[in-house]
Order: sequence, then structure tokens, then C-alpha cells
Amino acid sequence: MSYDILKILSASNKDIDNQKLMDYLAGHLSSKETHEVEKWMADSEFANDAVEGLQQVQNKKNIETLVEQLNKDLHKKLEQKNIRKEKRKLKDLPWIYYTIILILLLMVITWFLIQRMNVKP
Amino acid sequence: MNVEKYQHITDGDLLQHFYQDQNNQWLGLLLQRYTLLLLGVCMKYLKNEEEAKDSVQQIFLKAITELQKYKVDYFKSWIYMVAKNHCLMKLRDKQGKFTADFTESMAGVITEEEGEMKLQHLEKDRRLELMNLSLEELNEEQKRCLTLFYLEKRSYQEIADSTGFSILKVKSAIQNGKRNLRILLGKKLNQ
Repeated sequence: MSYDILKILSASNKDIDNQKLMDYLAGHLSSKETHEVEKWMADSEFANDAVEGLQQVQNKKNIETLVEQLNKDLHKKLEQKNIRKEKRKLKDLPWIYYTIILILLLMVITWFLIQRMNVKP
Repeated sequence: MNVEKYQHITDGDLLQHFYQDQNNQWLGLLLQRYTLLLLGVCMKYLKNEEEAKDSVQQIFLKAITELQKYKVDYFKSWIYMVAKNHCLMKLRDKQGKFTADFTESMAGVITEEEGEMKLQHLEKDRRLELMNLSLEELNEEQKRCLTLFYLEKRSYQEIADSTGFSILKVKSAIQNGKRNLRILLGKKLNQ
């Protein structure tokens, strides 16, 4: 028996891209590629659960539409969160400005006071 | 952000970028790598497209919140755990049963990895000998399916056709065969 036997327990690090997975679900892959996807499934519970779930979707075109919608929605939410974060940052900014103005004012007042004290009567 | 431009970056690196500048767009790139798989996992457990879609959205939200609070090292396993737990909780709420035992299965993964580490340290010929011995000890069904799948690189369907088993039986023979092989090897390594 060859050294291939050692591969049984060595998990493959190769990930399968979404397109290949969709082609697998549609039954459009060659025998070699089919085995590649199934090896990935056999090595990962995550992959296996996902494929078994996707196989339950009757109309495979729905999968692409759902994924597209979910990704769009995800990016929209993340953008909103980023905008909120920026707004929060801007809200915090006036305090920085007030502090700088106050320090400058104090410096000017101190300078004037020193000048006055230095003036001989 | 251009998705293709960041394709070569690993999950870990994307997370590092996020931890450095807190820009949510990094999380977007990372999470959308898993949209299809998460949808599949939710479909497997919930068996309803609308419910699965809503659940993926909730999982995304949970992931975004949690990732802002904690540092995650193994994103893929972590997001799978979040998704599976979410679905099991949903099922439990719905049916009033079904308990999540994911902690147990995660512990199993760790023990399996330890066993594989031990195996990796052995000489290749010794490893081969132990694997052959363990494979011979499996029942005929599991041995046949593992050999056809891993050594002859046959697909599930091809194995089902040549053995007369159903695809489900082939898959479970491969999974159980692998598990038993690990147990047998573990025993031999500890002897």
C-alpha cells in the first residue's frame, strides 16, 4: 500500500472557492474535482454541514440571490456602523478644540501678567 | 473595498488589520468569505430558506459585536461554532428540546489533533505501518469506503455505485472509519 494511506488523517488545508462549490452542487464538476470537494467535506465538519444544507435548496439559483442579498446587507450595516463611529469621533472633537483654546488663552494671560510684573513702577 | 485585491490575505491577517484600525470594512471582507457556508449550515439545521437567511444576518451581527470585544485566533472554527450554536438555540426555542453539545465536539477535535501531532513525529515508515495495521482492524464497510475514497480518489457517488451503499451510508462509513482509525492509532501510539 502506498504512502497515500497517510492522507486519510491529514486534513487538507485547501479551501474550496464559492464558484467550485456552486458547480459541485449543480453537478458540473469532473470526477477529479468532485473528489477534491468531497475530500474537503470529509475533512471539515463546517464544510460538510454547509454542503448538506445547500443541497436542500431546491432551486440552486436562489442560493446565489440569497448570498448576494446577504453580502449587500452586510456591507450596508458595516458602513452605517463606520459612519456612526465617525460621528462619535466628531462629537468628541469639540472638547479637544476647547482644551486647545483654553491652553492658548491661559498662555496669553500668563504672558501679559509677566509683562506687567516686569514693568517698573 | 475591492474583494479580489484582498483574496490572498488570510483570515488571520484580515482580523489583524481590523484590530489595528477598527475599520469595519475588514470584517466585511472576512465575513463575506463565509456567507455561502453559513447559509448552508443554517439551511441544514433550520431547513427553511427565509429562516436561514435571517439567521445568517443575526450571526453576522453577533460576529461583528463579539469581534469588537474579543480577540479571535481561529476565525473559521469560531464562526462555525457561533453559527451552529445559533441554529441549535433556535431549534431548542422552537421545539423545546435539542441541547447544544458543541463544547464536547470541540474537545474531541483537540484530542484528535493531539493524536495527529504524535503521529507526525514518528518516522514515515513507522507511521505507514501503524496506519496499515489500524486500517486492517476496521470493519469491512469502513475499510472499503476509506480505501476507495482516499486511495482511489473516488467520489461519494462512484463509491455508492460500486458498493451498492447509499450516499449517506458511504459518508457515514468514511466519517466513522476516520474516527475509529484515530482511536486505533491512538491506542497503538500509547502502547
